[in-house]
Order: sequence, then C-alpha cells, then structure tokens
Amino acid sequence: MSNRRRLWQIFGPVICAFILLLIVFLIPWDRTFSKEDIFEAANSQNTTVFKGVKMKQEAFDDGYVPFYGSSELSRLDPLHPSVLAQKYHRNYKPFLLGGPGSQSLVHFIGMQGTSSQLKDKKAVVIISPQWFTKQGQNPQAFELYYSPLETIIFLLNAKNTKTDRYAAKRLASMPTMKTGAIKTSLKLIAQGKKLTKTERAWLEARLRMLENEDKFFSAFQLRDRIQKINDQAKLLPNTYSIKGLTAIANEQAAKHTNSNRFGIDNRFFKTRLPHKELSKLRGSQRKFDYVKSPEYSDFQLMLEQFAKQHTNVLFIIPPVNAKWAKYTGLSQKMYEQSVDKIRYQLASQGFENIADLSKDGHRKYFMQDTIHLGWNGWIAVDKAVKPFMSTPNGRYNYAISDYFYSKHWQNRTKVKKIDLTDKASLKDK
Amino acid sequence: MNFNFINLQPYSNPQYFIYLLIALLPIIIGLYFGKRLKNYEAIFSLVFLFLIFDGNHWQEGINLIIYLIYEFLITFGYLHYRTKKDSPNKSWVFNLAVVLAILPLTAVKILIQMPKGTVPFVVGFLGISYITFKNVQVIMETRDGVIKQIDPLTYARFLLFFPTISSGPIDRYRRFKSDYEKVPSREEYIGDLQLAVRYLFQGFLYKFILGWFFGTYLLPKIAMRGLIAGNAIGGLKLSWWVVAYMYVYTMYLFFDFAGYSLFAVSISHFMGIHTPMNFNKPFISKNIKDFWNRWHMTLSFWFRDYIYMRFTFFAMKKKLIKNRIRLSQVSYFVLFLIMGFWHGLTWYYIVYGIYHATAICINDIWLRFKRKHKDQLPSNKFTQWFAIFLTFQFVCLGMLIFSGYLSQLWFGWQ
Repeated sequence: MSNRRRLWQIFGPVICAFILLLIVFLIPWDRTFSKEDIFEAANSQNTTVFKGVKMKQEAFDDGYVPFYGSSELSRLDPLHPSVLAQKYHRNYKPFLLGGPGSQSLVHFIGMQGTSSQLKDKKAVVIISPQWFTKQGQNPQAFELYYSPLETIIFLLNAKNTKTDRYAAKRLASMPTMKTGAIKTSLKLIAQGKKLTKTERAWLEARLRMLENEDKFFSAFQLRDRIQKINDQAKLLPNTYSIKGLTAIANEQAAKHTNSNRFGIDNRFFKTRLPHKELSKLRGSQRKFDYVKSPEYSDFQLMLEQFAKQHTNVLFIIPPVNAKWAKYTGLSQKMYEQSVDKIRYQLASQGFENIADLSKDGHRKYFMQDTIHLGWNGWIAVDKAVKPFMSTPNGRYNYAISDYFYSKHWQNRTKVKKIDLTDKASLKDK
Repeated sequence: MNFNFINLQPYSNPQYFIYLLIALLPIIIGLYFGKRLKNYEAIFSLVFLFLIFDGNHWQEGINLIIYLIYEFLITFGYLHYRTKKDSPNKSWVFNLAVVLAILPLTAVKILIQMPKGTVPFVVGFLGISYITFKNVQVIMETRDGVIKQIDPLTYARFLLFFPTISSGPIDRYRRFKSDYEKVPSREEYIGDLQLAVRYLFQGFLYKFILGWFFGTYLLPKIAMRGLIAGNAIGGLKLSWWVVAYMYVYTMYLFFDFAGYSLFAVSISHFMGIHTPMNFNKPFISKNIKDFWNRWHMTLSFWFRDYIYMRFTFFAMKKKLIKNRIRLSQVSYFVLFLIMGFWHGLTWYYIVYGIYHATAICINDIWLRFKRKHKDQLPSNKFTQWFAIFLTFQFVCLGMLIFSGYLSQLWFGWQ
C-alpha cells in the first residue's frame, strides 16, 4: 500500500467526521420540546435552561410567565408561587429564572432570546436589594450564568444607543470574557462602532451552532422537582382562601423553624449556620451598603429591555429577616434607602406595579431563612401576583431615561420618596 | 491592570486538542520527512507547560522550577558519585539520594492533609508524583550501573515530557531516550500516526462520553440518593444506592483515567515517542494479580520493579525472612501500603492498600493449592468466566473503598 493511501486511510475518516459534524451543527434544525420537559425546565432553575433560548421561547408561547429572581426562587415550600399555580389551576405557570448569584446583568442577557415572545405580555421580577452591592454583578456567578448564545443575539441586534453601549461595556469588563470574537465585538459596540461583515458572519455561524446545541442538549439533566411540587401541593386546602393558606403556612413554618430564635429553617440553620459560623456573623453586616452600586445601572438594562418589549411587569421587593438583620447589624435605614432608590427608578419611568414587602421582615414566618422569602412571605407575594395575572395582556409604554446609566445615579443617596398608593401623582411623570 | 491569562489544563476540553494539534503540526510534518525538530519541540513543550502553570497557577509553576533544580542536584550529584573512578558505591549514599528525591513528594502529601489555612503557601504542583517516580527510577538504575551517563537536556525533556506530565503514563528513561534520539522510518511513523489517531478517538469516547456519563451525569445523583437513604436507615447506612455507586464509580474511574492515558499515549505517538500503555482491558482479569498487570500498568510495574523487587532482594540478602512464601507476602504488603500512602494519608486509601495486599496473598495461596490439586479441580469455560466475574466484583468493592464515599457516608467528609 502506498504511503499516501495509508495516510488517507488514517486521516480521511477524521476529516470526514469533522466536516460531517460541522454540517450537522450548521443545519437549521427544528424541534419542539414535550410539555413535560418544559414543565420540568420551568421549575428546575438549571443554568442550561437559563442560558438557553428554545425552551423559554416555547414556554412563553404556552402560558408560562417568567419569574426573574435569584436564590429565593428555590425555596419550594407549599406557598411557593409554582406550587400555588399548580394547585389552584391558575391561568399562568411560573417559569423560574435565576438562582444563587444571578443579578441584573445576567438577567438582561438572559432576556435577549425571548424578546418577541414577551412582547405585550407579563413578567414578574423579584428584585432583591442584596444585588445592589458595591461590586454589582458577582463575577463568579456571571461565569455560571453567562450565555454566549444570548450574548450573540444581543450583539447582532445591538445599535448605537446608550443602553447597548453600556451593556457591551459591562459585559466586556467581566473576567469570563477572555478573548475571541465575542469580546472583540463587545468592545466595538461599547465604542459605538459597527461590527464588520466578517465578524457578523462569524457570529452568525457561531449562533447557529449554539442554537443547535441548545435544541439538542438543553432538555438533558433537568432537575426534576415536579414530585416535590406535587407533594407540597397536597398540603394545601382544596379551595383557595388567604385564611386557609395562612393556617398551613403557620403550621408548616412552626414545624420547620423550631431549632433557633431567628425563625430560620432548621435545615438551613444546621448546615449553613453552625455555631462557629454563626458567632462570626454577629455584627458582620453593619457596614453593608446597598445604596451606592453599579447594579442600579445594570437594573436599568433590564428595565430598558422590558420597555422595548412593552412587557407588563410586577416588581416584588423582599425584606430581610428582621431578627437576623438585628443580629448581623444590617441597617434597616440603609435598606429602606436602597428600596427608595429602586422604587424611584421604577415609578419615575412608569413601572407602577410594585409590591414592596421590604418592611415586612419582622412579620411572623414571613421569611424562610435569613434573606429568603418563605411561607407567609409567599402568601404576600401571591396577594400581588394573583390580581396582576388576572388583568388582560396589553401593550405597555414606559418613559425610559438614560440618566439611570450615570455614575451620578449609581452613587446618589437621596431620592424623592414615591407614594405607590397615589396613582394620580405617578401618572404625572 | 486586568490580565486575561489563557490557562490550559491538559486534555481538559475538546478545544484544547485543536490548539495542541495545530502546535504539533510542524513536528508531525518534520517526522514524516525524516527530521526531528528538537528545538521546536522544546519551545512547544515550554509554551504548553507555561500555559498549565500561568495565571492562577503561577505558584505551582514556581514550585516546579524549585523542585527541578533540587532534583537535578540530587540526580547528577549521585551520578557523579556513582560513576567516578573506583566509586565506593556505598548503600547509605544511595539510600540518602532516594530519600532526598522523594522528600518533596512526601512533604506535599503531608502538607495537603493539614487543615485549611494552616499552610501559608501553595503546595506542590500538577504532576509532582509522576516526575518523582521518573526521578527515583533513574537514581535506582544509576545505582545498578545500567545508566552510566545522563545528558541533562534529554533528562529535562524526559522529566518534563509534556504529554505525560500531569498524570503519566510513567515512562522509563532508557526507553524514552532511545525513542527520542532516533527518527522513525516513514513506514514506522505512519504506523505511529495510525495508532495516535486511533488512541485519540478512543480517548474521546472514553473520557468525554463514557467518563462524563458515569462521572458527571450519573455519579452525583447516585451519591446524593445514597446519602439520603443512608441517613434514613442509620446504622452502617448501607443501601442499594451504595452498590450502584460502587459500579458507577468504577466505570467512571476507568473511563476517565484510561481516556486520559490514551490521550497522553496518542500525543506521544504523534511526536514519535512510544509512551507505554496504561490499561489493558482490566475488567477481563481472571485474578487480582492479573488485574494489576492490566490496571494502571506503568504505575504497578514501577511499584513492582522499584519497591517489590528491591524489597525482596534486600530482605533476602539480609536474611530477614527465610520462608520464600512469607517473604513475598510481606513484600506485597510493603508495596500496597506504600501505594496506599502515596494516594493520600487518609484511612480509605490505606485500607484500600491492605485490601489488595490481602487479596493478592490469598490469590497466591489459591494458585498454589490449584497447582497441587490440578486433577481434582475442574477448569472449563464456566470456571474461567466465574473467575473473571468474581475478580470484577472484588475490584469494584475495592474501588468503593478507594472512592472515599464510605467516609462521606459514615463520617461526613471525604
């Protein structure tokens, strides 16, 4: 056998395999996910689902409503929004998006793939003041939630606007972005320049591959919590009444928080706050400051995205467990100041659906642990979610202002207090 | 200033192979046309070594450099002593050289067991064990007089041979040197390429598909269920999940490590170096001895040649143990205990060592019994399959001990 022939026999199949793989990844495949898969995905809080597009798109076309949030979404007690929606056959199903460490910037990117699905529809955002730290989006968490797929969608649609320049700058500054076409393109957009033809072509090819990956693989390895939801739903009374729910909430919470004086879930207390850890935390949050933060501008990116989609959004501002805050020294005054800023940023631009629970941290069984809503807290959430969901869908217009991207706003400490009950004055804006 | 270091851990993801193969291309073309581009190869190796030890891993890189200087001093010091005219060839000098050579590795093994935060610097570096094995082997062969001279550059290349630096296979200096100094004929080299491609793709299948499936997909789920079930039962906390864990972990360990070893052998072949294979169908072993001739072979052969044999000769010479059977049993325990300690100073590695030492002794007794009663014992297809089956079960149980899962289950730490 000649050498050339032997070489061909060795490398031929490899070359063919690569070409075949490239073709498979570049063909525009189509698929639909089963209803079961989507239901599982909606409650899994998996990062693959978060970073993907296809499942979210199908879900939002099929009556699912995104619940953007962070770690509180995983507190699956019987009063959790997913359980309530399941038990009382609501006309919506929550699609939980986010988990520990997800903040505005990853949510903004995570929204890029579903802008047409959410057009004139509804969304819920649980906006925690804890996001508004000096650093803003935590870089390690960014790594976890960063979606190249949706970043490319952002890049291909980006225009020379304050929002897109700001978003590109923020994304490019994350350490996850090392080198490569995405980083170069982000830098171009940040400088207000256009992408070149070759860059666009490259991004489009990459987009196609990532879309296929998303279609092929995102239904794998979902965390199945359906059984858990059904189990929790069994604990609820068959007819919906706040009184009935409150009774269950008190009963469950009493059982699960009897190991400590903070009203913290026993398991959380045992695993996360052993004695040594606990004593270290005393007074440790005295200097925490959520008032000055780049997060306010990242949050503006989310708002801008909602405005573009004309989405009707309900914002929920959770409190901190008051007994816990007292122990760690977290300042309630500072907390309220940051809430005032969030409220101002929302209301002054026309986002008027705000359920501000930030002062309810002292209420009994309101929190499941230190900073996460639970039992009675979820009931308070439902009191806002239920009427919000029963209003018809419609096109909402907002008065977006670029001021919220400025350092001045990020560092501002004093804002006018917004009275949410005074609808007339809100309309004024 | 925000430096974005490109850091590449060996064989960690598919993209890595693209970079690697592009960088290898000149070497491949060179060898095909009968030239070994030694300088390019050196630069290429240094670049990829740098990429392992840059960024967050820079302290490890410093450790590696200090370690190399230290080991060079010992090896060449001993070589000088051993090859000078009328060398007294004292045993204590040799012993001292070996002890000094394994001192850093021993220190690392102890230091990594210290509680978090008590050691104020980064300990060791990726692949310290494997470099130490290579080094000790050279000192031992120098003592034997088989190695009479060492070219420092070739030696550095041997120790730092890039494809095998992180986890073996453990090559031998004389074998490496003879490969390295010759250029294969075109026919031979095409044969090498053929193997290289085959091993590469077998490695992909093993590590990225099967290893992923068992290790990343199945194992965490089973581990969690086992812990939950165990805590519910109490007592020894053994549920069927532990049995599942045993098999899945064994599969994971094999496919992950064998896949990794295949990559190392494959890349070596692209470079015209025949790094020895590490695994040879270990699950069809018909007894434990057979298993150790098929599982992590370069390590077990190293232990056989440089611990088992050395100890046996030493004990025979000094007449420590007269009974030959007893002697081999003691040697096995020495071998497997050292292997256990080398894996780490935790109870389950040491139990794993004792477990296999006991097994291999029992196996020897059985083989002797079989030889004596050849006529009375049946030997057919069924007994052969039964032997394989039994060995496999035994091996898996050993892997369960090795995995540390029992420690997690019983004491809450691993």
